[in-house]
Amino acid sequence: MAIHTILCIEDDRFIGEMYVRSLKKAGYEVDWVVDGNDGLITARNKSYDLMLLDVMLPERRGTEILDALRGGAQDLIPNTKVIVLTNFEQDDESRISMQKHADAYLIKAEITPKRLIEIIHQLDAA
Amino acid sequence: MNIIIIVAIATILILTHVFKISSIELWSLMIGLLVVSIVSSLFSVAAANRPTQDLLNAIIHISGEPTATPPPNPNDKRYAGTGFQAALQTLYELASHDKAIPETSTVSETTSIIESALNQTTSGLVVLDHDRNIAYSNHAAPVHIDQNNKKSLTLLFNGTDTLDAWLDTCEKESVHAEHIWTRIGDKLPEEEDRHLFDVIASYEKGTKSETVITLIDRTDIYNVNEQELDFIAFAAHELRGPITVIRGYLDVLEDELSDVLKDDQHELFRRLTVSANRLSGYINNILNTSRYDRRHLSVHMSEESLASVYAIIGDDMSLRAKAQHRLLSVSFPADLPTIAADPASLSEVLGNLIDNAIKYSNEGGAINVTAEVKGDFVEIDVEDHGIGMPGNVVGNLFQKFYRSHRSRETVAGTGIGLYISKAIVESHGGSISVRSEEGKGSTFSAFIPIYATVADKLQASDNSNQGLIEHGDGWIKNHSMYRG
Repeated sequence: MAIHTILCIEDDRFIGEMYVRSLKKAGYEVDWVVDGNDGLITARNKSYDLMLLDVMLPERRGTEILDALRGGAQDLIPNTKVIVLTNFEQDDESRISMQKHADAYLIKAEITPKRLIEIIHQLDAA
Repeated sequence: MNIIIIVAIATILILTHVFKISSIELWSLMIGLLVVSIVSSLFSVAAANRPTQDLLNAIIHISGEPTATPPPNPNDKRYAGTGFQAALQTLYELASHDKAIPETSTVSETTSIIESALNQTTSGLVVLDHDRNIAYSNHAAPVHIDQNNKKSLTLLFNGTDTLDAWLDTCEKESVHAEHIWTRIGDKLPEEEDRHLFDVIASYEKGTKSETVITLIDRTDIYNVNEQELDFIAFAAHELRGPITVIRGYLDVLEDELSDVLKDDQHELFRRLTVSANRLSGYINNILNTSRYDRRHLSVHMSEESLASVYAIIGDDMSLRAKAQHRLLSVSFPADLPTIAADPASLSEVLGNLIDNAIKYSNEGGAINVTAEVKGDFVEIDVEDHGIGMPGNVVGNLFQKFYRSHRSRETVAGTGIGLYISKAIVESHGGSISVRSEEGKGSTFSAFIPIYATVADKLQASDNSNQGLIEHGDGWIKNHSMYRG
């Protein structure tokens, strides 16, 4: 199933707007929330094809959100692909445990919106 | 007494008229009796005196006074029936007790001094017996006692380099061995009252205290480092935010404005992009250096082609070379075997080497990136035709913060690029070296293991570098002693 709907959980306004703008231009339907609690609620209320998840979020960290959605016995977002997008240098353990539940783990400063869209295409192809 | 008896006998004999008082028989009998009684009493005195004498001798011997007489033997036949044997034995026993008592009191005094000292020190001491049970542990030792009163160490070793694993090897291979682990915690990082130890274990096969473990509490030092690491991680997060936006919008804008931009404006955009990219590379260097110095840097290796690793930074490098007017040529043989690499880390190394080649060469200079098989390794060469270095500089090149005198004046840099590159390459189980000639240029060579040569080790250690590091001459093994 091709990726069409995207949930972007990102608290930095500049970065959030940048992704939303580029992704919308590329034809995706994007919802953007800025805090962790809203992120978790939105992710549970609506099924998205893809979630872009920041780690350092107010209210609830990205690690907690991912754990709440995928850490239990049942995967609460079985139809959603997850890309963790962070600039925070996590320790290995937390990073590896997040990678387990995610389809990609990227450093925001290392990628541009153009590169992000390429990666989404790759996920689509996979 | 004897005389009274003799006189009494004589009186009876006279009174009964057996003998007359003047008769020679009476007197000779009396004298005879006297002699017999004197002699017999001499014997009985001697016999009665012997135990006393022996007792005295025994006491003299026990007290340690110098004496020529041999100590009385309690097993002497003479003593057998009299009960003196038992008396003498008791005496000797008491004496030996007496001797032993002062000795034990000194030993127990020393033991109690040592024990109180051991419990006073902040260093832990644990003794394991042959079955790895804790035979002794002092107060500072991180030991847990379970419901069955069984003691166990609460150390959390990193990866597979554990005490038990080491003891397994010792039991198989060693008579005497020593091993040091640094920065070993007794609790998880988030838990309260966590201590960090340097752990020194010495193993001596077959002794009562087969394994002696000394734990030096380094919590104060290591905790500061942890905080620094946190600080650097947060600082990096702060720095990366703006860089993300700058890189992102440059990307977006260049796309959206491509129709209206004139030639030189494209060039300006490129410079902006290159600079922003370099910033993000430097932040990675700083983060990696900080992790490496605290031995938190671990590489997770997988089977990769060199071309795919280079592709991560390829566009960026081309752009950078173009912006600085260098001729970058990258060519890898098509049949190059796959390598065991952490793509992100290794691409940073290549980025650092190419970045240096750009920095230390001249406008229009050619930079060649090539690769070939060398034994079990793929050798990746980054060659420039720039200013080069004299021999005395080369030796220091991979040291932290090292900048050659001249480069300090002419070229900007932090002096950690090569340091961290070396660390990353070595944690791949590889090596890095340089050939350079002043005025002609330098060639940096990184040797990365061919995947096939390390595949089994990697799989055995869950694709982390542990397996390689322990078996190769990697950096953790060599540097852990004086780092941290």
